[in-house]
Amino acid sequence: MHIAEGFLPWQHAAAWTAAAAPFVAHGIRTMTLAVRADPDSKLLLGASGAFCFVLSALKIPSITGSCSHPTGVGLGAVLFRPPVMAALGTVTLLFQALLLAHGGLTTLGANVFSMAVVGPWAAYGTYRAVRALTRSLPETTALGLAVFFASALASVSAYTVTSLQLALAHPDPADGFLGAFAAFAAVFSLTQIPLAVIEGLVTVVVVRLLSTVGRDDLRRLGVLRSPDPAPAAAHRTDEKAG
Amino acid sequence: MLIDAAAYRSPWRRLHPAVKGMLFGGLLVCALALPAWPGAPLAAAVALGAALGPARVAPRDFARAARGPLLFVLTGAAALLVSVGGPEGAVAFAPDGGARAAEVAGRAAAAVCCQIAFACTTPLADVLPRLSRAGVPEPVVEVVALVYRMLFVALEGSRRIRAAQTARLGYNGWRAGVRSAGALGAALFVRSYDRARRLQRGLECRGYTGALTVLVAESPLRPAALAAAAAPPVLVAAAVLGAGALGAAP
Repeated sequence: MHIAEGFLPWQHAAAWTAAAAPFVAHGIRTMTLAVRADPDSKLLLGASGAFCFVLSALKIPSITGSCSHPTGVGLGAVLFRPPVMAALGTVTLLFQALLLAHGGLTTLGANVFSMAVVGPWAAYGTYRAVRALTRSLPETTALGLAVFFASALASVSAYTVTSLQLALAHPDPADGFLGAFAAFAAVFSLTQIPLAVIEGLVTVVVVRLLSTVGRDDLRRLGVLRSPDPAPAAAHRTDEKAG
Repeated sequence: MLIDAAAYRSPWRRLHPAVKGMLFGGLLVCALALPAWPGAPLAAAVALGAALGPARVAPRDFARAARGPLLFVLTGAAALLVSVGGPEGAVAFAPDGGARAAEVAGRAAAAVCCQIAFACTTPLADVLPRLSRAGVPEPVVEVVALVYRMLFVALEGSRRIRAAQTARLGYNGWRAGVRSAGALGAALFVRSYDRARRLQRGLECRGYTGALTVLVAESPLRPAALAAAAAPPVLVAAAVLGAGALGAAP
């Protein structure tokens, strides 16, 4: 849900850019420190950014039989954490504006705020909360639930913030901000709420497959819990005894 | 990618990005800041004229690039036509909704034309190395450049995997579609990381010290070109403000 170039008055575009700037600056600082501490991480960060871009360009089946695109915000936040996602998300949105004409340059700040700041933090908060609540469940079930809710809520929160931004920019002459918010949210919710559910389901499939074929990467990123050392220690003891 | 390919084909590719930024950025400011009528159509006409004329962007490419954002503009503007929860009922037509929607849509469509005209004449690879001069930290510029280089390979991989899935009826039905899209995302992640590690090993074998230096084609920034690029937006602003002043005169 990218706000197109020129859709926001310049005062609003400037205000949303100012609102997003501290988060992006923090993300850039985190990324810079990570690269300076470990220059090898530069290539992995590059790969992560390319993955985020392609993820948001993937076609997912829509309820109407047509295709749409996921935001990719939920999966990105779970894999790379919100501060890094603020920086990677900004890069992704800039590339989308200049390579695909999705979103604008003056509206970049507003799009960054909804999709690279609010979306990732909503996703990560939901992910941590569901992981804490489902601690007693098996790892695969707990991870699936956490990823589904994180991804779906990230998507919904990004659309809600976009509706809010549009309503603030173009309030209803009769009903003001609330009337405009209801109109924008009603228009977008028809397609975006089912899409958020579908994106949640697709993300669960992604993470379930990754927990089989990319287990080490998920452990290194802190998504999967480290294996219980007890069985390995017991195994070594058995070997010694044997 | 359509826009990047058009940018590499354009003869304006050799111009310094600041010159094109001045021209299309200035027109963008005209579209946003001047009165929408006739400011927006005039700015759009000049941007389109420059892109399809001397910059030789194919009209078909331009139209395909503009289709997506213009759809958003129309959808967003449609919401301005209705009023929700007012005295006239739950959903009713807003009294001056048509005029507001037309103004916002006109302004945004003109701005989209300026943005696409810039993007279709300026390859991103020419802009990225100059980010460090704009104060962006060097490591971040290198990560951004890496993202740019890797995303084409990732996109190509995604297209190939999707074609193979489609050939195996992977998108035949909603449930299969969700499963295939998930499998595609997972495969992309694994491939991206694997490629980054192999690239790392290859660079280390060539004496990689942490700096990815690349040659950037030097294009001098001439003040005369910059002044010439500023002329069309200044003329558009003068025409719109002049017409407004004449219209207001008794």
